[in-house]
Amino acid sequence: MRSYFATAARALSTSLRNLLRRPVTVEFPKVIRQRAERYRSSFALLHEEDGDEACIGCLQCERICPSQVIAIKAGGKRESPISGKKRGYADDFVLDLNACIYCELCVQVCPTDAIVMTREPEVPAYGREELVLTMAKLYANEKSKHRAWGDATRLNGMQVPPKAPAAPKPASPTAPAAGSPAAGPTAAEKANGGSPPAAAASPAAPSSTAPPVAPAEVPVTGNAASGSAASAGPPPASPPSGGAAGATASAPPASGTTPATGASSAPVTSPSGADAPAAPGTPPTGSGEGGS
Amino acid sequence: MSEGLVHGVVYSVVIVTVVLTATAMALWFERKFAARLQTRLGPTMVGPSGLLQPVADLLKLLQKEDIVPANADAVIFNLVPLLAALAALGAAAVVPFSPSVVASDLDVGVLYVLAIGAVTVLPVFGAGWASNNKLALLGGMRAVAQSISYEVPLLLSAMVPVILSGSLRLGTIVQAQADHHWFVVWPFFIGIPAFFIFVLAMLAESNRIPFDIPEAESELVAGVTTEYTGIKFALFYMAEYIHTLVASAVGAALFLGGWDGPFRPGLHWMVLKTLLLFVAVYWIRWSLLRFRSDQLMALCWKYLVPASVLLVGAAAVWVVLV
Repeated sequence: MRSYFATAARALSTSLRNLLRRPVTVEFPKVIRQRAERYRSSFALLHEEDGDEACIGCLQCERICPSQVIAIKAGGKRESPISGKKRGYADDFVLDLNACIYCELCVQVCPTDAIVMTREPEVPAYGREELVLTMAKLYANEKSKHRAWGDATRLNGMQVPPKAPAAPKPASPTAPAAGSPAAGPTAAEKANGGSPPAAAASPAAPSSTAPPVAPAEVPVTGNAASGSAASAGPPPASPPSGGAAGATASAPPASGTTPATGASSAPVTSPSGADAPAAPGTPPTGSGEGGS
Repeated sequence: MSEGLVHGVVYSVVIVTVVLTATAMALWFERKFAARLQTRLGPTMVGPSGLLQPVADLLKLLQKEDIVPANADAVIFNLVPLLAALAALGAAAVVPFSPSVVASDLDVGVLYVLAIGAVTVLPVFGAGWASNNKLALLGGMRAVAQSISYEVPLLLSAMVPVILSGSLRLGTIVQAQADHHWFVVWPFFIGIPAFFIFVLAMLAESNRIPFDIPEAESELVAGVTTEYTGIKFALFYMAEYIHTLVASAVGAALFLGGWDGPFRPGLHWMVLKTLLLFVAVYWIRWSLLRFRSDQLMALCWKYLVPASVLLVGAAAVWVVLV
C-alpha cells in the first residue's frame, strides 16, 4: 500500500505536467500532416507523349498483383490511331482499391510505365463503389493528381545491381589484384573494370569530388558493386567511382556498369536520379535491367 | 410558515437548475480536462471549444431506443435511474452557498447529507438486481460492498468538523470556520488528514476511478448500467456527476471554510472552492488506475477507518483542551 501511494503521487505529478504541455493532437480533417516521401494513396494510368494510351494490355500487373485487385480486358494488337503503329491496348482496366495493399508491384512490373501511383486523392470514401477505380477514373487521375515518387523505371533502378553483360569488356588485368579480400572478386572486378573508360570519358572534374561522395551514397541502396568500389579504394578506385557518377549523364558507352552506381543513388541525389530513368527509356535495347 | 415554504421552493428550483447546468458543464469540463491531462485536445467540433458537447451527448442519448430487458423487473428497472438522480440532487438542498443562499439549512445538515449519500447506493443495487443480468448484479453487489465500507471513514471524517465546530448544521460549521480558521488551516494536523480521508471516501462513494470497481469496464462491461439505454442511462450518468459535484460542495463547506474569503462575495468563494475540489477529483480520477477489490477493502478497513477514528479522538481532545 505504501508503494501504491508513491506510485499514485508520481502518476498525479505526471498528469499535472501533461496539463502544461501542448496537446499532441493534430486535428486531422483541418490539418493534414506532411505526407512521407513515399506516401501513395491511389493510382493513375498515363498517356504517352504523343497522346496514345501507354498501357499495352500485357496483363503483367494483373498477374503480379498479390491481392488480385486488377482486372484488365486486353484488347489485342491493333493499329494505333495516332502513330499508326501496331500495338496492344487494354479495352478495360479496373483496379479495386478496397483490397489493394499498396505494394506497388504493378507499378514496378509495368514495361511501359503506364501505371503509376498518386499521392491524391485521400482514400477514405463513403462507399465501396467509390474505391473501385475504373479506367475513366484512372485516366482522370493522370491529369489532376500528384504523382507518387516512383514509376517502373525508377523502381527497377533500385533493384539488385545489374547483371554484367557490358561490364567485363574492358576488364583489366589489374582488377583481381585490386579486389579487396572482403568483397566478392567479381564485384570488385566490375567496379574496377568499368572504371577506365569512365575515367576517360570524364577525367578531371568528378575524380576530385568522388571519394567523399561514393561511400555516403553506397549504404542507401546496399549495392554490392558500389560497395566494393568503395572498399577497393586504395589502388585506382577513387577515380572510378567518381567517374561512374559523372559518366551516368555524359557517356553512353560506359552505360553497361557505371550507371549502376549512378542510378542506384538516384533516390538520394535528385539530379542524377532525374537523369537515370531517362537514359534507359530511350535505348531499351539489350540491357533492360542493366541500363537503368 | 408559508414564507418558509416559498423560500424553500424558490431556492430549490434555483439550486436544482444551477446544479443541473453545472452538471452539463462538468461533462464538458471532464472531457476537456482529461484530454489535456493526456495531452489530447478533447471535444473541439461541437460549438466553440466543444462547449456544446453535453447538449449533443444528451440529444444523442434521447434518440436512443429505450430498452427494458425481457426478464427484467420492469418497475424497479424503470424507477431506479430517477431515484439515483433524485438522491444525488437531494443532498444539494442543505449546501450553504452563502450565508443566505441555501435551500434549507437543516440543523442536522451533515447527517442529512451523509444519509442521502448512503441512499444513493440503493438505486445502484436496485438497477443491478432488476436488470436480471449477471454483470449488472455483480456490479451492484460490488457497489454495495464498497459504499457500505467507505460510509464508515466518510462519516467519521465528516464528524471531525462537526466536533470542532460543535454543530451538525452546515451553516454553523462554515460560520465557525469564518470566525476562526478553516479546518484545513488550523488545526491542520487534524483538518488536513480528515479532509484527505473525506475526499478519498467521497471518491469511493461516487464509484469514480480509482474506486470504480462496480463498473470496472474491463470486467463487468458497464456494471449496473449494462442494460440501460438512452435517457435512463443518461440519468445514471448524471447522478454520478451530480453526486461528485454536491460532495465537492459539502467538502468545501466542511473543511475549506465554505463561503469565507476576502474581497469577493461569499457565493463566489463557495463556487470557487467547490470547483477546485471538483477539479482535484477529476485530476485523481484521470491519473490513477483502478484498485483491486481486496486492495480497496484493505485501504478502507486497515488504513482509513483507524485513521479517521484516531482523528475523531484527536478532534475531541483538541476541543476539550483548547
